Amino acid sequence: MIGTVARKEIVANLLSYKFFVVLLLMVLLVATSLFIMHRDFSGRMADYQLIRPEPGAPIAVVPPNPLSIFAKGLDDAMTRSFEIGVTGVDVRAGQSSGNIVYAFFPAPDFLYVVRVILSLVALLFGFDQISREREQGTLKLLLGGPVSRAQVLAGKWLGNFLSLSVPFLLVTLLGASVLLFDRDVRFSAGDIGRLALILALALLYLAFFLSLGMLVSALTRRAATSVIVLLFAWALLVFVLPNLGTLVARQFVSVPSVRALSEKRERTWTREVLLGLGERGNWAEHYRTISRENDRMEEDYRLRFERLVRLSRNINRLSPAASLLDAATEIAGTGIGDESRLKAEVVRYKNAIIDPIIADQAAGRREARYAAFTYRRRSLAEVFAAGALFDAAWLAVFNILAFALAYAGFVRYDVR
Amino acid sequence: MIRTLIAKEMRAHLLSFRFLASFVILFVLVAVTAVVLTGDYVRKLDEYSARQAEIDRYLRDYAHFNRIGGVLEPTQPPIPFLALVRGLTADVNMEAFDNDPLPVMFPLVDLTFIVTILMSLVALILTYDAVSGEKEDGTLKLMLANSLPRSKIILAKVAGAVLTLVGPLVVSLAAGMLVVLLHPRVDWTGADWGALGLVVVGAVLYSGVFALIGILVSSIHRSSASSIMTSLFVWTLLVLVVPNLSPYVASFLSPAPSRIKVARETSRLTDVDRDDLGRRLMAQYQGEVLRQYPVLGERLTEAEVKRRVAEDPEYRKAFEANRAASERAWNEANRIQGARAEELRDDLRRKEEAQTDLARAISMVSPLADFAYLATDLSSTGTRNQAHFGSLARLWGQAFRRDYRTKKVEELRAKDPTADPWNTPIDMTDAPRFRYVEEGLGGRVQAVLPPLAVLLGYGVVLFAAAYLAFIRYDVR
Repeated sequence: MIGTVARKEIVANLLSYKFFVVLLLMVLLVATSLFIMHRDFSGRMADYQLIRPEPGAPIAVVPPNPLSIFAKGLDDAMTRSFEIGVTGVDVRAGQSSGNIVYAFFPAPDFLYVVRVILSLVALLFGFDQISREREQGTLKLLLGGPVSRAQVLAGKWLGNFLSLSVPFLLVTLLGASVLLFDRDVRFSAGDIGRLALILALALLYLAFFLSLGMLVSALTRRAATSVIVLLFAWALLVFVLPNLGTLVARQFVSVPSVRALSEKRERTWTREVLLGLGERGNWAEHYRTISRENDRMEEDYRLRFERLVRLSRNINRLSPAASLLDAATEIAGTGIGDESRLKAEVVRYKNAIIDPIIADQAAGRREARYAAFTYRRRSLAEVFAAGALFDAAWLAVFNILAFALAYAGFVRYDVR
Repeated sequence: MIRTLIAKEMRAHLLSFRFLASFVILFVLVAVTAVVLTGDYVRKLDEYSARQAEIDRYLRDYAHFNRIGGVLEPTQPPIPFLALVRGLTADVNMEAFDNDPLPVMFPLVDLTFIVTILMSLVALILTYDAVSGEKEDGTLKLMLANSLPRSKIILAKVAGAVLTLVGPLVVSLAAGMLVVLLHPRVDWTGADWGALGLVVVGAVLYSGVFALIGILVSSIHRSSASSIMTSLFVWTLLVLVVPNLSPYVASFLSPAPSRIKVARETSRLTDVDRDDLGRRLMAQYQGEVLRQYPVLGERLTEAEVKRRVAEDPEYRKAFEANRAASERAWNEANRIQGARAEELRDDLRRKEEAQTDLARAISMVSPLADFAYLATDLSSTGTRNQAHFGSLARLWGQAFRRDYRTKKVEELRAKDPTADPWNTPIDMTDAPRFRYVEEGLGGRVQAVLPPLAVLLGYGVVLFAAAYLAFIRYDVR
């Protein structure tokens, strides 16, 4: 029986104007986004080839992550080049552009399309499921047949989910397989697995918005009302909550500003150079002091920053959009956790080679060689343990909750 | 007659559920944002003064010219408008090791966001069924049965919707401003009021554009169910897609060399190549000096040099000629290599500017980008202010490096001609300090004329289109 209802829904969708608009939007956006982010990735790859360190150079730089085409996250910050010198880490090439317009608007990656635009689309599939059929009088007829309300609801959900997810999966897989054959990108088998996980999360996320749409539709008498409620709910969940959440977290955890830190580094540097000049000679000790003080500051900053991220992440979990963003970027390896882990690795690398660098400098050896920097993305198990699994489960809970409430609402719905 | 029509439209809106919902959401959100952002602004103020005090304390103890540029670097103090509009001031800073990636992932909520996303949604929600809804209800037929020209009806619909939108916007903003102004540490000036007034005008225009889009779409469609779909489709494209795509499309159409590539080449020119050239020139010039003053050929320790400079005027002349030769050589090398590097940088700058202009032009197709530029430039948090800050910083740099530093170096040399002025600690408490002054309102207003004109143009074109569509509308 569920199957029949689902089939009816799919057929109704296929013939509707709504489906046409949505399909157009989906194909257009996913394709454009993949194309553009692929170009962006190629550009960054070309930059990486330029700054790629010679063997033996004390430079830490990781190549751009192919999954950043789908979830860009912090990949720009992660592909900077960290050069190790006598006084510590020097950030050389921020791979930035002078085009300030980039700073105004978020990057239109696949994750953005799903998180912001397709969630709206999913709502549009759900918003009038019950109220519109009541308005048209077909709900009475439907329930007049030998079918329970649970079956109607489940069938409707299934039919709409399929009409939403099948075109979505088709266009995404098509785009991804085009990328698969690109020589620049080179997905590993692990990357494809991660991509599949991101897709699964995206489906879970879209399913939530579909359920939410049906929930509101089961609580309102008119479709016009439910669309208004849903649009506001969408704006709150997708934009307001996550962004306000990080601001609220900042009120509770005090983190020094980036500017304050770089000013402090500058002062330490100048002071030690001055003291060193006064003594004429013993530079090594001053270099070590600079490195040690910067490490201490960095450590303090990292601890505070991690506290801030934890708090804001927990506040943001009120919004499924933030859960999706956090989980998907961490799975892709471009999330906040990955970025701070990379920086911790860079500091560890620096501490491993700074003594030889200072000694070589003192001895005037210019062509010294050092161990290479290696960075491996976290394994999926670690990513899951760090919170992605919780986020995924949380999305599923949201989903079930919305569907259960929709059922409760529908059972009590006056179909007249 | 038109008054009656507008009054009818407004009454219909004011009594509706959608108006109530919009109003409540706007009001709560503006108030909450104002509270949070004001707190954040005050925190920024505290941090800024703590940083300045730290620099002052530092300057009393250690300061020499070779590295002081880094410590004394100009910084932008927080401005009161940050309690409403954030613009480009997020503390991301990719150039530093300790960057703050949170704003990259979660952009802040501020007044710009509330207007661009929420107000445009509210405008669409109020108007998506302006014509098609009345047709469905059958009231359109009744209205047109009276001796009413269609132009008046459509004008009344637009005016009614815009007037209805102004109310919630102004009331919520007043509540937000109350929160901001009641904080004792916010100094809101007359120029700030002027800028805020213009931001509100821009916001009304912006919402008006979306109200017109709603009315236009509703007078094309027969049913309000399909007009909401089309309105949302257009909204999504204009608000969520076009601005985000614009810089990428511009980089495609008007490519610029990568900064990394240029930085590599210029740093080679001004570092390794410069040193080679400098050493060569120095050997050449000092050779000439040596021929003139053979006394320099003697190998002396530093202390002996100091003693002889003090005692022997002839040696002192030779010493100074030698130093001048070395300075001349390095200046020459710096000049030649600097000019070469500058050429590369100029090329990069030109191409990047062309790309930025194109990206801006493309993004201005979207009313969201127009309003974002308008609000950030008026509130001194946008690109305009970045350029203004840059020119202030350059002026300060001249005052410091050219005037103050030269004076100090001369004073030092007058006392001790052998002293190294770059690496000697110098009392710099009297150095000119950087002071940020916001750009005058006149310049800011001039900067926002183009986006304002685009918004107005949108309004006129959309109104004409809505009028045409409504004239041809089949009211049955």
